[in-house]
Amino acid sequence: MEISKSSSRKAQWQKKSLPYLYLLPAFLIMGVITFYPLIYQVIISFTNFETQHLLLGLKSPELEFIGFKNYVDIFTAALPVENFNFFRVLEFNFWWALSNVMLHVPAGVLIATLLNTEGLWMKRIYRAVYILPVVVPPLVVATIWTNIFDERYGAMNQLLANISTYFGHVGPIYIRWFEDVKPPIPGFLPGAPLTLAYYAMMMANFWLGWPFMSVVATGALQSIPKDLYEAASIDGATGGQQFWNITVPLLRPAMIPAAVYGFTLSFNLFNFVFFMTGGGPARSTELLVTFAYNLVRNLRWYGVAAAFAVIIFAVAMVVFLITNRITRATQNYSEA
Amino acid sequence: MASVTYKNVVKKFGDQTIIKNLNIAVEDKEFLVLVGPSGCGKTTALRLLAGLEEITDGEIVIGDRVVNDVAPKERDIAMVFQSYALYPHLSVYDNMAFGLKLRKTPKDEIKRRVNEAAEVLGITDLLQRKPRQLSGGQRQRVAVGRAIVREPKVFLFDEPLSNLDAKLRVQMRAEISKLHQRLQTTFIYVTHDQTEAMTMATRIAVINKGNLQQLDTPQNLYDHPNNLFVAGFIGSPAMNFFPAKLAKNGEKMLVDAGDFKVQIPDSHSAPYKNMDGRSVIFGIRPENIHDPEFAPQNINGEKVPAKVDVTELMGNETLVYLVSGKNTFVGRVDPRSKLRINDSTQVVFDMDKFHIFDAGSEEAIR
Repeated sequence: MEISKSSSRKAQWQKKSLPYLYLLPAFLIMGVITFYPLIYQVIISFTNFETQHLLLGLKSPELEFIGFKNYVDIFTAALPVENFNFFRVLEFNFWWALSNVMLHVPAGVLIATLLNTEGLWMKRIYRAVYILPVVVPPLVVATIWTNIFDERYGAMNQLLANISTYFGHVGPIYIRWFEDVKPPIPGFLPGAPLTLAYYAMMMANFWLGWPFMSVVATGALQSIPKDLYEAASIDGATGGQQFWNITVPLLRPAMIPAAVYGFTLSFNLFNFVFFMTGGGPARSTELLVTFAYNLVRNLRWYGVAAAFAVIIFAVAMVVFLITNRITRATQNYSEA
Repeated sequence: MASVTYKNVVKKFGDQTIIKNLNIAVEDKEFLVLVGPSGCGKTTALRLLAGLEEITDGEIVIGDRVVNDVAPKERDIAMVFQSYALYPHLSVYDNMAFGLKLRKTPKDEIKRRVNEAAEVLGITDLLQRKPRQLSGGQRQRVAVGRAIVREPKVFLFDEPLSNLDAKLRVQMRAEISKLHQRLQTTFIYVTHDQTEAMTMATRIAVINKGNLQQLDTPQNLYDHPNNLFVAGFIGSPAMNFFPAKLAKNGEKMLVDAGDFKVQIPDSHSAPYKNMDGRSVIFGIRPENIHDPEFAPQNINGEKVPAKVDVTELMGNETLVYLVSGKNTFVGRVDPRSKLRINDSTQVVFDMDKFHIFDAGSEEAIR
């Protein structure tokens, strides 16, 4: 009796501990590559960690704990960096992500709807072609678009020159897309002037961004039953009314998660911004991630960069919580 | 209120002709059921009327207006779809109000009509719900309600009951009939279920392979089918058919089915007088085949030897599956029948109620 009780208790303990045993390797790896750096980063964000401390790390004798100074410096723009203002970068970053999604989603839906027309010729070919930008490496895309916006030889200025001949303008046009610091529409975004470089990047990223939205919308469109449109046409809805009253609301469950995904993608679109403008001119197109990169790679202020990363982490957390909420709130209309 | 006319209507999809020269005149306030096997073109005929498909040739007239080139919304019709086609993102109320809102009907008028329709259909409690929160039968009602509020000239129903379970189907059948009584509007109803057709229609149009087979009242269709297809399609269990020859026996005419011979009573033999040796199909409905023990006395009964294959007791009647030589057939006999599997018997054919079709053209000879 005693023996069987204790042996059953042992078996039970084994049964209970087994799942944790399976999880252990994953925890160990995550501990090494995720949690340790995370904690280490939080610690050095309170220090004046710089290049000379790399060798000894936290044991460096001259490493000072300076409390919240790094954070305060970032928020009060007290860093000895030209044209840096944390809140302006933050505002621009949000606007950048938002304005991209606001363009990509409607364009993607519209093009998907048009390509969904029954009896359209070579539908599959269009669909295959428009997905191409997604699979081209970002560095290549950025290089091409940098060339398109070249002041002297770029296709964009040549195109504008050609168009403007119809309005009586003669001669070439030299717009300095990536250098001009004067915002073409002053006061468009109060607090964060949008330079021409922003508009150039918007165009380039539009080319890159709408196809994904279109793919999602195409899939969702095909799941809308045809008889809803038939019922609506008998109910008296015109093509436009059918689009607004059926297509748009029924695409919403698919498009909102896609828009959230697009938002986070644009929010952290490091390589594109870095390769095209490098955050310029005058840091007007700097994103949080590109600035963090500058702090580490170019200025080598590890302490400040760590503090900056912690702030980005907090911002990303807020963005995540909000978008997660939006996604979950999107109910599916599927009739179950 | 309006009549509907199909005049020489043809519909082709590519090389395929779905409807070949359809002519139907539906009278005002009639409940016409289009019935036929799946793929016969009945749904296409309805969709042509709704304006969801374009007509290849001929004319469709609603009231006194040719509607070939009229948009669906201008035809003053309402349609109930097989899938119900409720807008999943709108509440029941908004589903029903959708068409009225598009037509800029005043708000209180919309409210009055929706509430009235909801009352009629018993869905007043459901008005704020979304379609996914409703059962199949409730969705069905909402779909009908959406049609009612529009107050159209013609109601179109495309197999509206086929997604419901058997019990609900019987109930909704009665409700749709009641609705027709109440609204006094033209109903055109498509189904593949001949029971639905028989129970609801004022007239039935039987369609097969894109051709109208017969257009008549349910009773006439049942009693006097024009051809083999209609005879076999209407009625459940279906009419029994026997390949046979007509034969003369003195002054009498006989039906010679090989394994058995039955005599045509003098009162019915006139049309067959000069048809000695003609190949025909002899048809008799299951209820006109009797267990010899319970056969009524006052009929022109003819005995046919048969062996019992299977019996199905239904309570109010018994279905007996019989074999006579190479023919198998069904009798619907008195429930007191003592016939059991493998019994040999002589069932009684009621020869006042038989059908004879030409073996070649399959048209009724009468």
